[in-house]
Amino acid sequence: MQIRAVFTFWTLVVMAVPVLGQEGLLDILEQEHKDTVPTYVSATFKTTRITYGHSVETRKKGILEIMLSNRFWNTPALQSQSFGVDKMNARIALEYGISDRLSTGFGGSTWDGLFDGYLKYRLVRQRPKGEGSPFSITIFQNASYFSEGLTLPDVDDSFSNRLSYTSQLLIARKFGPNFSLQLTPTYVRRSVRYGDIDTRNHVALGIGGRYKLSHHVSLVSEYYRVFNPLDNFDTYGPFGLGVNWEIGDVMLQFMLTNAPSMVEDSFITGTKNNFNFKNPNLNFGFNFTYVLHLKRKLKGLKQKD
Amino acid sequence: MSKVSKLFPVFVFFAMFVHGQESARVIARQGQVSFFSYTSVEHIKAENNQVLGIIDLTSGEIAVSMLMNAFIFEKALMREHFNESYVESDIYPKATFEGQIQGFDSGLEGEQTRIVKGNFSMHGVTKVLEIKTKIERKDQIFLLTGTFEALVQDYQIKIPPLLAGNIAKTISVDFRFECEPYAN
Repeated sequence: MQIRAVFTFWTLVVMAVPVLGQEGLLDILEQEHKDTVPTYVSATFKTTRITYGHSVETRKKGILEIMLSNRFWNTPALQSQSFGVDKMNARIALEYGISDRLSTGFGGSTWDGLFDGYLKYRLVRQRPKGEGSPFSITIFQNASYFSEGLTLPDVDDSFSNRLSYTSQLLIARKFGPNFSLQLTPTYVRRSVRYGDIDTRNHVALGIGGRYKLSHHVSLVSEYYRVFNPLDNFDTYGPFGLGVNWEIGDVMLQFMLTNAPSMVEDSFITGTKNNFNFKNPNLNFGFNFTYVLHLKRKLKGLKQKD
Repeated sequence: MSKVSKLFPVFVFFAMFVHGQESARVIARQGQVSFFSYTSVEHIKAENNQVLGIIDLTSGEIAVSMLMNAFIFEKALMREHFNESYVESDIYPKATFEGQIQGFDSGLEGEQTRIVKGNFSMHGVTKVLEIKTKIERKDQIFLLTGTFEALVQDYQIKIPPLLAGNIAKTISVDFRFECEPYAN
């Protein structure tokens, strides 16, 4: 009995050895892949904006973006003769990737006379499952200057009082090929353009998402909630619902929103209308971004993302 | 049962183990694969310098594996589009090739041109390819080079009509593998 058991055992061992040895060549390569350079999750959001607010994405080194953003809306006047474009706001901006992680941008808006500039840095990049950080984190800082006349009698109209600052921590995760979500804790230091009786410091939280509908089209939405809104007039959280469409070097974003402004401090703390389909609350928004690659060389061996 | 017959399987075991070690393999850890798309509107070129290739010298079997997101493009945005909208590297992260070098003589010093036949898988599609490959041996180093063409359509990669003029229907692929002896 015992001899038989020993024999059976060895037979099994002998049979197992060739199976173990028959490791395919592709299996060996599978092992080797683990030693190669790290990879990062790309295209959490394809564009640097989700709808009106920033996304975790930054542009790579040497990329210049020419960005033209517009918002159109009707005045509540009954005798309006135009189709959705009684008023418009346009922001024209140039945005540039200084390095693969750091980008900057400068823009001016026509309707609210805001001039803004920002710096954005990709702090943490999401890596595939089990390899590293499950999130992407980008830090964002902007400053905007309110250039139009102040009608408020009692405020100290100085250059520094016309400046607003927005600091954001953009935290996003791509849950799968089709779905990404972003949380955006925000601090806004507001200029005195809406009067001096309020606090000038506001805290807000943004949430935004992207759902990929097809290879080149995605559905996006975004909302900001301000925890200590302005007191001297009613404000509402900006909401946006839109479609992003990528065509090679051109990115198009179409959206419906209640925020006429395109500068962070202004749309987060100073959106005067709630989101509904009445005039002038509903804005139709259109962002056109042309991506110019100023450095077009192949980057060589090092993998960057 | 005598002691010898009891130990017999042990000898078999060791004999197999030793035999397993014998099959010599060469590997390329920084193989290069590049592809080109030429149209009147736009030239697109991409390079991957992290391609793995391995050859079993005794059997002439060959395997290649590459990560799709390791392709580097002239335009950074193209790489994003390539991975996100065309080859869907989130779902299909790798392209692999597994095949046989036909009539391969690993002992031949110098140059030989051989047909490599095997299955190429990319974007969830597997195609049988026959690729003419130049193999140069210098001592222990094997250098494989060649070119082949692939139809975009074959791999179920959809090009939107708006960009049909920018991306060629046939993509030409170059490869270069410098293989050195593989040690476990």
